[in-house]
Amino acid sequence: MNKTIKAAERVSFFMIRLIELSISVILFIVVRYKQGGIMKVEKENGKELHDTDPRQAELERMNTALEEALKAAEAANQAKSNFLSNMSHDIRTPMNAIIGMTSIGLSHIDEKARVQDCLLKIRTASEHLMSLVNDVLDMSRIDSGRMTFNEEEFSLADMVHDIAVIMRPQALQKKHRLSIHIGQIYQENLIGDPLRLRQILVNIIGNAVKYTMDGGQIDVNFCQKTEEMDDRDGGRRFWLLFSCKDNGIGMSREFLERIFVPFERVSNTTISKIEGTGLGMAIVKNLVDRMGGQIRVESEEGAGSRFDVEIPLMAGQGEKRTKLPSGQSVLVVESRQDIALKIADYLAKEGLEPVHMDSGLQAVTWLTEARFEMHMPCALLLGQELGDMPALELAAHVRQLAGPDFPILLVSEEDWAEIEYRAVRAGINGFVPCPLFPSRLLGTLSDLLEKASEDEETYTNEDVDYSGCHVLLVEDNELNQEIAVELLTMIGVQVETAENGARAVEIFEASSPDYFNVILMDIQMPVMNGYDATRKIRSLPRKDAGNVWIVAMTANAFVEDIRLSREAGMNEHCSKPIDPKRLQEIISSRMK
Amino acid sequence: MRPYQEEYIANLKDIVMLTARKKPAGQDFEEYVKGLLQNRLQAEQKVKRNMELLREGVFPLLDRLFEAGEEELRELQEFAGNLLSGTQELDVGLFCQIHQALLSLARSQRDQAGIIRELYWMGIGRNSICNKLIGLDSAKSEKYVFQMRLCFTEAAAYLKYYDALEDAQTRGYIFRSRANMALGKFRSVSDKIRLLKQTLQIMQDKEYQEKTPQLPWERYIYMTHQLMASSISYDRENTMTPQDITALMESVYIVYQKRLQEAEKNGEPKPIRSAFHYYAMEYYCGLNTLDELLTNMEKLMDAADLSDFSGESMYGIISIPAFYCQYLQEFPEKIPERKEYIDTLYQRISYYVDRFPDANENESLFLYLRQLSYTFVEMENSISYKKFLQRMQMRFAPEVFVHSHAVGNAAQVLCRILLEEEPAFFDDMEHIRRIRDREEKKKAVLEYARECGILHDVGKINFMNLYSRTGRQWFEEEYEMAHMHTMVGEACLKTRESTRDFAPMAQGHHRWYDGSGGYPDEYIRLACPYRQMVDVIGLADWLDNVTEADRLYTGIEKNFDEAVASAVEMGGRRFSPLLTARLSDKKVAQEICKALAEGRREAYYQLFTAGKGRAL
Repeated sequence: MNKTIKAAERVSFFMIRLIELSISVILFIVVRYKQGGIMKVEKENGKELHDTDPRQAELERMNTALEEALKAAEAANQAKSNFLSNMSHDIRTPMNAIIGMTSIGLSHIDEKARVQDCLLKIRTASEHLMSLVNDVLDMSRIDSGRMTFNEEEFSLADMVHDIAVIMRPQALQKKHRLSIHIGQIYQENLIGDPLRLRQILVNIIGNAVKYTMDGGQIDVNFCQKTEEMDDRDGGRRFWLLFSCKDNGIGMSREFLERIFVPFERVSNTTISKIEGTGLGMAIVKNLVDRMGGQIRVESEEGAGSRFDVEIPLMAGQGEKRTKLPSGQSVLVVESRQDIALKIADYLAKEGLEPVHMDSGLQAVTWLTEARFEMHMPCALLLGQELGDMPALELAAHVRQLAGPDFPILLVSEEDWAEIEYRAVRAGINGFVPCPLFPSRLLGTLSDLLEKASEDEETYTNEDVDYSGCHVLLVEDNELNQEIAVELLTMIGVQVETAENGARAVEIFEASSPDYFNVILMDIQMPVMNGYDATRKIRSLPRKDAGNVWIVAMTANAFVEDIRLSREAGMNEHCSKPIDPKRLQEIISSRMK
Repeated sequence: MRPYQEEYIANLKDIVMLTARKKPAGQDFEEYVKGLLQNRLQAEQKVKRNMELLREGVFPLLDRLFEAGEEELRELQEFAGNLLSGTQELDVGLFCQIHQALLSLARSQRDQAGIIRELYWMGIGRNSICNKLIGLDSAKSEKYVFQMRLCFTEAAAYLKYYDALEDAQTRGYIFRSRANMALGKFRSVSDKIRLLKQTLQIMQDKEYQEKTPQLPWERYIYMTHQLMASSISYDRENTMTPQDITALMESVYIVYQKRLQEAEKNGEPKPIRSAFHYYAMEYYCGLNTLDELLTNMEKLMDAADLSDFSGESMYGIISIPAFYCQYLQEFPEKIPERKEYIDTLYQRISYYVDRFPDANENESLFLYLRQLSYTFVEMENSISYKKFLQRMQMRFAPEVFVHSHAVGNAAQVLCRILLEEEPAFFDDMEHIRRIRDREEKKKAVLEYARECGILHDVGKINFMNLYSRTGRQWFEEEYEMAHMHTMVGEACLKTRESTRDFAPMAQGHHRWYDGSGGYPDEYIRLACPYRQMVDVIGLADWLDNVTEADRLYTGIEKNFDEAVASAVEMGGRRFSPLLTARLSDKKVAQEICKALAEGRREAYYQLFTAGKGRAL
């Protein structure tokens, strides 16, 4: 325990040092910035004194100009002083959290969960501190003219999805409804600086999230202008139009005039915990200007704000053409009409025939009829709202109804990383993120259909070369053995059989290294059962003993059976009676 | 059935008998405990034997299902039919497992009749599972409802190929599936009523009837009306449209008239169930006020014969009170004037249940009691919800009752040790922090620990088919389902005053200390002011589970020393290191072992005395 305490103390010591350094950097930049601003005014003053014109009128004009400049400088200076004061507060807030949580963590060092909680809070506060440092550094770069832009090809769809993944959890935390709409998009692949572009958009949406009371509505729109402009290099340019509208606290007319001035922040008693440097909008304005774009703001205090951004971007390479089976039907199950219509439109444009259903029960009825009448659709597209049940419940049933090869795609706003495990388990084999871009929808569908047809060909075509695949089938039941051998050899797999576990160990031991790709292992067998045989194989002193893929094949379904097969070293569990397609899935997955 | 299948069924029936609460028939306490332990041992032997029968008989058959002959498949179906019948539920998990395998077989053979039949039975199995989830937030339980409805929907979709499917039995499955699509909760009552209206139209279509005259059409139609009549929601203003009410009225009237005629013909009293639907319907139509409906319900409840254990009487004595209380929960301003009546109601139910013959085997009784528990109205100077739950546990889940007492006792030992070292250890809990006097505080903590132990597993009552009445180890899906006892327990405890402080124990006792494992995710240890007590209960529960209570169903079995060693090894991950540090002291471990044993013995004693006193 002493060791742990010492380690934790060391971590907190470094953390505090790091924070001290960060503060020094911020203060240094701020002070430099502040000094720079004042010096500029002094220079102008000096120049004025040297270039004095003897004419009185001119002197008065110059004096007036000087007074205005002085006022502006004083206002800027005041803003910077406010900024410094705010920053001191803003830095202190996360610092308090960091120091406080470090102390709490140390005093509960033996409670892992408590320490973990403290560290998570410290991480959040540190990240916030980091964003403050970044803003100040960015502003400093802009001010010194050191800000540069990359010119690289990027996908608008990827960028929008990244933004959605970043912003959705934040919006959710404040119970906002964040809707991201995609309008007319002519060119998804564009050339520009995606990082800076993302910075602009995240900043604007982030402000909408911050400055809207809990449970608000934020509408984000992306589209492109139809008007094309010829670039001097012969390329094509499109205007990316972005708007973000919220029903938040809004801004006063006076503030609206200063919104892009550095260090300004909306103050409002209803939202007491707004954090930030007040540099965000100034950075956004600067970035948009430097990209040759425009930014407009409309706002009404208490009613909300709307930001419109237009940025010209060069067209990148055209999108990859998708291969889709024209004339075939696709079942679309989604209760939200706007999304369903959009999906149907994208599919119809590619020559597919969308069939739309509102609910899971309607879909099952339709699919049962389609199966009976032998006109199954080529795929099922599941939306995220089905009216009567969650999409994954329907997917699990359709997977049983339609078989293992039937393509089922999920179109969802959720983060795939969060739902992947549940979705794959339910039988989903393709994911299309929302907001919906045609390239993503059609590309994923095309890939899945291609794979399904390849699998179909592989299964039915005896000429496909599986001769490199060696399977050891361990099965005591003669008929089961015969069926499995028949199924495997039909697709060209080289099968060797063992009638019990002991024989399987002998065969594996006698084989050359990496000879077997898969071992299909029955559990209940005479002489030696499947668990013992697996344990023996895993303990053999040879390179492939630890990684040869062993699949338990059994109808034994007790929790203990599944646990025992895992504990014995088996990689997966395949239930009996043997499903030929499942068998082939296992083989092909090991041959990749 | 094959002999091994018959033996399996017989063992299941024996296990239900052996694990049921026994009344001490002239025995003294020692003899009573000896008898219980012997029964328990016998039940364990039967569980082990059943596992052998499954491993040697059923699983190998499922292994080679593709080569099984017709006779063997027919026997398997018959076996499955015995696992779940209309009145008795012996093993719904295995029932579903077998029908799932038969469905896979039918799908692979493209056997339409087989697919329809197996989908129907899968739906029936799922429906039985759904009935266990009464009281649980619908978002958590609806997964099972969807699974059931999808099975019935797919089977019902074959209606379009009625002519192609000539077999009358298969056609029957299609119509029954069509009606059963309306089973379970719907997001909107209107959807349910619309579905049933369509089903009635289909069933009344002469063309279908003429093509298969051998099907019991009248019965199908009548049962669909019954299903419709039971769709009445207590919230008449918000959930039903005028069209829904019209459809409901028609069905309620048809069922009521038919039951009235039958009762008159057989010289029976007025049919309680359909009379209730009739009165409720009058209320929905605006013909009656809520007060009139409640008064009519009181008349029906009073008219039910306490010595009659038929379905109709049971409905009047237990189920109507559940609806009655549901109305009162919705309109609490009606409670004060009915306090006395409610109190008598619970006493009557208690009296009735205690005299119910073979109560443990009656699924309907159990279902109605769960409904009653879900809508329980707690009042001052009447039976508290806490007491009601304890009695339910004692009556229907004696094994859980014994385990809970053992956990409560062990929790007291742990708490006493912690308080001696740090008197403010449990001060995160407001009701403990408020107590200033050290001795008073200790007393309060120890009593609270005991009651936490007693109530932590209260959610298991809904899943008795998975716990003491299970005749084998769990399947993976059952293991997942058993996890829901934490959520069910929390859901019922958190809504009543007398049990609110125990809800976190029910919710969090299986969640790991560091949050890296266990269930449910909803329990966030650091956000819970009761966490120290949850930690204590979690450890005591685990120790008793692996050494005594759940070991047969999970396949994890340890002696006490092994359990202690494992718990210490999992300190900081699964269990609080503050607790495992104490547990590694041999004296403390021995004390806990003794407390568990004594707790069990105390519980047996309570069962013994309660059995003599004939309380619920």
